[in-house]
Amino acid sequence: MAVSKEELKKLILEKAINAPKPQLYVKDFYECDPDAKPREVKNAANELVKEGKMDFWSSGSTTMYAAKGRAKNEETR
Amino acid sequence: MAKHNTPMMDELEKGPWPSFVTDLKRQAEKSPQCWDILGQMELSFKDKITHWKHGGIVGVFGYGGGIVGRYSDVPAQFPGVAHFHTVRLNQPSSKFYNTTKLRQVCDLWEKYGSGMTNMHGSTGDLVLLGTRTEHLEPLFYDLTHDLNWDLGGSGSNLRTPSCCLGKARCEWACYDTQAACHGMTMHYQDEIHRPAFPYKFKFKFSGCPNDCVASIARSDLSVIGNWRDNIRIDQAAVKEYAAGNYVANGGAHGPKSTLDIQKDVIDLCPTGCMWLEGGELKIDNAECTRCMHCINMMPRALRPGVVQGATILCGAKAPILDGAQLATMIVPFIEMDPNNDFEQLVEFIESVWDWWMENGKNRERLGETMQRVGLPTFLKVINVDPIPQHVKEPRSNPYVFWAEEEVEGGFERDVKEFRARNAM
Ligand code: HEM
Ligand code: HEM
Ligand code: SF4
Ligand code: SF4
Repeated sequence: MAVSKEELKKLILEKAINAPKPQLYVKDFYECDPDAKPREVKNAANELVKEGKMDFWSSGSTTMYAAKGRAKNEETR
Repeated sequence: MAKHNTPMMDELEKGPWPSFVTDLKRQAEKSPQCWDILGQMELSFKDKITHWKHGGIVGVFGYGGGIVGRYSDVPAQFPGVAHFHTVRLNQPSSKFYNTTKLRQVCDLWEKYGSGMTNMHGSTGDLVLLGTRTEHLEPLFYDLTHDLNWDLGGSGSNLRTPSCCLGKARCEWACYDTQAACHGMTMHYQDEIHRPAFPYKFKFKFSGCPNDCVASIARSDLSVIGNWRDNIRIDQAAVKEYAAGNYVANGGAHGPKSTLDIQKDVIDLCPTGCMWLEGGELKIDNAECTRCMHCINMMPRALRPGVVQGATILCGAKAPILDGAQLATMIVPFIEMDPNNDFEQLVEFIESVWDWWMENGKNRERLGETMQRVGLPTFLKVINVDPIPQHVKEPRSNPYVFWAEEEVEGGFERDVKEFRARNAM
């Protein structure tokens, strides 16, 4: 049984805050709810960005996610 | 920001070709940060290493793509390029701009950025080169409100779809490439503006197998116009070509070039499926591989058939890992109907995405995932029946793997007993 969207967002954010690496691929969040479809996980992670709780970190070719303030930005380094 | 001494850059102005160094110098009169681009490049040539740092938390609110963060690693020396972010715009289908829009975008970019642009380089996008983080939101506001224009894709997003001229200009288009490109762009706005995948994903749309947008080489999912019936032949026009009255190849080799139909067309057909019979041109259409050669050579005599649609190919990429790869033909023919919003295409796209999002590794393009699991597995998961045309070259791999349930009687059957009932 897949968990609710709010529950999934909570699990994703917890993982983003506690994972040893600050930047995570969307696939790293799949394990937050193995029953959720990849697209549901992606949508939940993107909502967290819209809410200002996570950031997108992008190299230009790849995009990763980080809990707000965890990933280093060039300008605040 | 003043002019630097750049002897190596200056070398790049010496050839007979247009030079980006000359362009940069001209633009530097208006946007002095361009002197620092040249200065930093000179230093990179000297040090034999790039001085760009890439990546970061750079973008506009709500969007996870379209802007790529670039910073100088020697900002004290070149303050004009301390930040040098690039902005990708979603170009109009077939790149039909009007001059008003082009002027507007140039003005906008001189206001907020360096004024340097890259009109459709290898990414395919219209790219605005070089701005600072604090200019991004105001730029985006003006772009969307005054120019009614949007950002394109970058990062692990669906990249800005692109298409050939299609039915707007080209009689060979087998479907409306602009309708498909615009339709998919609108349908997948979320995937373009926010990351959705293990890595980048590209669609490109060509109206016929000439594939003018090179979708077969540079898109994960390439939609190439095709026909499933016979090449249309106008035998009277064939005779005019034979008599040398019509210019070869629509005049592409000069206004006086004529055709030797046997040597220039029939002998060059890759599948050898054409011949002349009593002055008439014959084609064994079942063997035609849709290379377009004969149609390109004799456009007044030959045309694509009338049952038109598209062939879908998957898995092309330009290198980062594993080198360049061309796409593999997956679906020989689908209908491309704008009236049902390209239903068959959408269904196919989503079956590929569902599988790749689940099974693709991080930073693995669709073509690499396909190669890793093998074509038979890929065909099975997206529910396409194998056909001989899926085999890349006959004999390069003569082995056919059967699953036990596909073999009558399974692997444990008594062959002698089976043969007694079923002669070879
Ligand atoms: C001068 C000596 C030989 C030459 C030039 C030669 C050449 C070839 C060539 C060109 C092929 C086809 C490869 C392909 O189509 O991919 C082949 C296949 C084969 N050869 Fe030879 N061969 C020679 C001797 C032999 C000998 C002495 C044997 C066995 C005792 C042998 C057994 C085979 C077998 C089993 C195949 C595979 C057939 C198949 O693909 O179904 N060959 N050989
Ligand atoms: C340790 C010993 C051997 C190894 C490691 C070995 C390995 C291989 C490999 C890798 C292939 C190619 C398979 C492919 O193309 O996918 C092959 C094909 C073949 N081998 Fe061997 N082989 C060995 C011994 C032998 C012996 C002793 C014979 C014959 C007396 C033999 C006859 C053949 C033949 C006829 C083929 C071609 C099969 C075909 O094309 O249908 N092999 N072998
Ligand atoms: S790909 Fe075909 S249809 Fe499109 S512009 Fe080129 S020749 Fe014409
Ligand atoms: S399109 Fe190519 S393969 Fe088909 S008949 Fe013409 S030359 Fe031959």
